[in-house]
Amino acid sequence: MKELSLTTPALAEIVEVREDTKKIKTFTIKYVDRQKQKRFHFVPGKFLMVSVFGFGEMPISLSSSPLKTDSLQLTIKEVGVITHAMLQLKKGDKIGLRGPFGRGFPVARFRKKNVLFISGGCGMAPLRPVIYAIADRREEFGKLKLLYGCQNSDHLLFKEDLKKWGQTENLEVLLTVDKCTPDWKGNCGPVTTLFNKTEINPDNSIACIVGPPVMLHFVLKELKKHGFRDEQIYASLERLMHCGMGKCAHCNIAGKYACIDGPVFNGVDLAKMPLEEK
Amino acid sequence: MQQNFLLKKEKLGEFLTALSKEAEVFVPSLNENNATCFLPYNSQELYLAERTQYSPKKILSPPLEKEFIFRKKSSSFEIEHLLDNKKRVFFGVRSCDTHAIKVLDKLYLEYFTEDKWYKAIREDLTIIALQCSKPCENGFCQSMGTDKPVGHDLLLVEKEKSFFVEIASERGEQLVKKYRDLFNQTNFTKPESKFKCSKELETTNLKEILDKNFFHKKWKQEAKKCLSCSSCTQVCPSCYCFLSFDKFILNTGDSERFRAWDSCQLKRFTRVSHDFFFRESRESRLRQFVMHKLSYFQENFGFPLCVGCGRCIMVCPVGIDLTEIASTIRGDSK
Repeated sequence: MKELSLTTPALAEIVEVREDTKKIKTFTIKYVDRQKQKRFHFVPGKFLMVSVFGFGEMPISLSSSPLKTDSLQLTIKEVGVITHAMLQLKKGDKIGLRGPFGRGFPVARFRKKNVLFISGGCGMAPLRPVIYAIADRREEFGKLKLLYGCQNSDHLLFKEDLKKWGQTENLEVLLTVDKCTPDWKGNCGPVTTLFNKTEINPDNSIACIVGPPVMLHFVLKELKKHGFRDEQIYASLERLMHCGMGKCAHCNIAGKYACIDGPVFNGVDLAKMPLEEK
Repeated sequence: MQQNFLLKKEKLGEFLTALSKEAEVFVPSLNENNATCFLPYNSQELYLAERTQYSPKKILSPPLEKEFIFRKKSSSFEIEHLLDNKKRVFFGVRSCDTHAIKVLDKLYLEYFTEDKWYKAIREDLTIIALQCSKPCENGFCQSMGTDKPVGHDLLLVEKEKSFFVEIASERGEQLVKKYRDLFNQTNFTKPESKFKCSKELETTNLKEILDKNFFHKKWKQEAKKCLSCSSCTQVCPSCYCFLSFDKFILNTGDSERFRAWDSCQLKRFTRVSHDFFFRESRESRLRQFVMHKLSYFQENFGFPLCVGCGRCIMVCPVGIDLTEIASTIRGDSK
């Protein structure tokens, strides 16, 4: 695993660009080195260090199915200089990739359990591979629930997947938007309001959370209220890593590094972290 | 039986000049601003009174380092690595700084995966340590257990008109062999340096005490003074945080990637998307510095990140002193 690609970006080609929302695009990407693409695999929740040459490098979570390895996908929102440059790229353009880095969701440990997915905004991107992995071996898992909230209906990601998942047996999809528009018939309010719209039972359950820091605080509180214990919770923390290898210290949280020990942390580790830094 | 040697002080210039012919030699001396730091040897006067204001970190992990050139080739890129493999000698490194180099070695060469830029610079480095003979201002190496050098090749101890030379590695042995004419064999034993550091830091259970006092009022009090100038992290010989950025080269379409020192004392350090800052308050940033030095690092490496050189105390424009913070918190938690 400790190969050169951890420190040197490997060239990769954008083979497809899909516009998810006004500011979010999903890029389908293949390594230029076909052997490398063949060997490529990842655990859902892991991230790549993506180089847009001339603009810089940024950590981006993989958003494609871990079962599909002939290409990979990155779903990127324009939030700064590098993401802005990335969103200008077209089919055929080359970028650099290092990784995958970090610890993902321990999907094998979720077997025979009910899984509650909670995501906000772009947090849907790292959760998508987890749902794909579980949906593929549906019979090995219990009931699944996805609570997904975003700004407004225009910001919903992966609409086709949501539709498909909504029709999957024992997979309940609940959506909410912060700002209601006339065309939106569903729930309005933050993702925590969805907790009252369905039965949330902590027995034999796991909760996976990916979303912005503010959302995480409220969701953790809500899960506690519903009887979830720390060890039943997994959350991916947002940090802007500059190296991915535990050196630059941008993602240092107490004794942990989000790039090596995370970004997906178990609730037991989260509980030990200072609240303001989660 | 290991042999010991003496190097007469009058021969030191000759020794350094000879070394300079085969390697880049860095010696403690005064820079253009009269700050003491490690500079290339150029027959200048050496500063051997006490540890320098700046550590040799600047050479091992440069403040600005070019990592790659990305050359544009029609529709693709060629990636060129830039590694600095020069042969170097550090002369007159104090014990605290040898421990700081150990910290950087552990982090860059062993932890998770090795950093090839650091490795390139580190690989052909000879360290000639110099034993302190008196306490330096603000130093507390005896409290941190960093008062005896580690990982060095030769150790020099001042003895009247000579330096007592102890061979500490094979590389050191080869060096003495090579310049044997300059060294005199001696039957003396190593002179003991007896002094007491100017500051103290009680380290018993320090990590536990600090961890328990994350919200102690002392943090806020000290943070009120803090200017977030990041001087402490710059002079710290073991502070290693860096950021990375790209730069376009005009006309060619090529670009370069740099790595530059960063500091946890700057607000932008924990910035993420939508301008969210995890450590927005000065209090949280000052605490991060002290906690990383005295608590967090220890969890992964088994020893504290602070080497007790006292430079952060020396340089702080408002007199923030991590030994004082630690002892106040310890006092209140009794």
